[in-house]
Amino acid sequence: MAVPIIPDPGGLTRPYWEQARAGRLVLQQCHGCGHAWHPPLPRCPRCHATVTGWRQASGEGTVYSYTVVHHATHAALADRVPYVIAIVELAEGPRVVSGIRGAAPDQVRIGMPVRAVFEEVTPEVTLPQFAPR
Amino acid sequence: MLRRTTAVAGIGQTEFARRLPGTAWELALEAILAALADAGLQPAEVDGICRFAPPFERVSEPMVVRALGIRELAFFAEAPLGGEALGAVIGHAAAAIASGQASVVVCYRALSQSQSGRFGRADARSGPGPVGPGSVSTAEPDGHVRVGEEDNRCFHWPYGLVSPGQLFALWATRYAHVHGLSGDDLTSALGTVAITQRQYANHNPAAIMAERVLDWDTYRSARIISSPLRLFDLCLENDGACAVVLTTADRAAALRDDPVYVLAATQSLAPYSEPMGIYGEDLIELFPPAAAARLYRQAGVGPADIKVAELYDATSFMTVKSLESYGFAKDGQGWRYVIDSGIAADSPLPVNTHGGHLSEGYLHGMNGLNEAVRQLRGTACNQVPGADVALVAAPAGSAVILAR
Repeated sequence: MAVPIIPDPGGLTRPYWEQARAGRLVLQQCHGCGHAWHPPLPRCPRCHATVTGWRQASGEGTVYSYTVVHHATHAALADRVPYVIAIVELAEGPRVVSGIRGAAPDQVRIGMPVRAVFEEVTPEVTLPQFAPR
Repeated sequence: MLRRTTAVAGIGQTEFARRLPGTAWELALEAILAALADAGLQPAEVDGICRFAPPFERVSEPMVVRALGIRELAFFAEAPLGGEALGAVIGHAAAAIASGQASVVVCYRALSQSQSGRFGRADARSGPGPVGPGSVSTAEPDGHVRVGEEDNRCFHWPYGLVSPGQLFALWATRYAHVHGLSGDDLTSALGTVAITQRQYANHNPAAIMAERVLDWDTYRSARIISSPLRLFDLCLENDGACAVVLTTADRAAALRDDPVYVLAATQSLAPYSEPMGIYGEDLIELFPPAAAARLYRQAGVGPADIKVAELYDATSFMTVKSLESYGFAKDGQGWRYVIDSGIAADSPLPVNTHGGHLSEGYLHGMNGLNEAVRQLRGTACNQVPGADVALVAAPAGSAVILAR
């Protein structure tokens, strides 16, 4: 399915998308205190260190909330309704927004265990998505 | 302490409609002039403007100053984040007056969604910003829409999370889960809000939905926009403008018999409490309890003193959740409170007595502020007897308490 809305990353988020393209879900992590977070920030929000890097996340999480969108509010989404928007809480703590693959919209539940899958949208862009595990 | 040092001397508004002929600029001027006339003040006496920041508010200070022949502004300030600016603009105005930096301050909100794009449509917006009129998207020749990393849009737009209503749906789903609501429980609570507000609107000639009755059959059978929210759970999209004029308490009392005093005005910003701030600690904490406590402390009143509340209702769910956050129902019990007690004229706390954003019109909470002033003056269409203290609350701890 064509997913025509794609990220146009800047310097802060480019590593996230580069890793996604390689099939890895990553979180920004502080080299100083070990804290990991999402979305990316210029400094560690806990110890304020500027030396930050990336760690691979387990890719496992649970559905924190979701909605089934029936009314498309962007022309690019018109052929996708109904579709699920989920907020997934990763095993590491941070949350990410995702679609749900491998389950019908009416099967999605809060607390559902999910695992990251990687969806090549264009030759340049791969989107992390989540599917039941 | 701001308490009773400043007052609303005048309110004004235009007609509200899905489409009005005037530009937002023309609508803003009409509302501001109406508010000044209501206050008995001349435009030349205005020396302050506090407004919603762009890209939400497109009518700038220079546009107002030029068009109204205002001699000189001594104080002007903008508050960001859309509806969350509501408490802020009043707070900034009151603080400027109380500190002597200005004496007559105008706050306004003007919208021409028919010209600038409907808020619910993500592809009709232009300019920067996380939601509302703002989210840039550029259709490329290859058919893709590319979204940048500003406001983390690149992390939610590709998944189709592009409009405020979808965010509120995520909140409502989580709320129902955390507090153990069945689908029927949630529908009953949200429907009670939508239908009661429509009933208020049916007695308010200014309401866009003044003539349109909403019953349970129509509510329940309405199409789902973004589950669990149905069509009638979401606010209107319209044109219109509202304005208020604030001045010192003494001046307001000299201008009119029924000044409405500002008891307190708050704003609040915590990590990810801004619109589309979906990464915060608790997704459904729309209105931080700490901000509500600060509001009541500064006002010197408590929830029991509030006789009428105008609660920001981009969706019906926000009305339910605000009742908890501002202390009218226990945490997680707002839905039950709404079902058991209701928000109608005969309930313990009449809420959104003008019809709210769901049924009067959407003006980023400024029409709720005007309604609170009318209630305290005793001139509202759905007048609450003995209304002497009113709460006007927007998302994220942005709120105002007004009193006779």
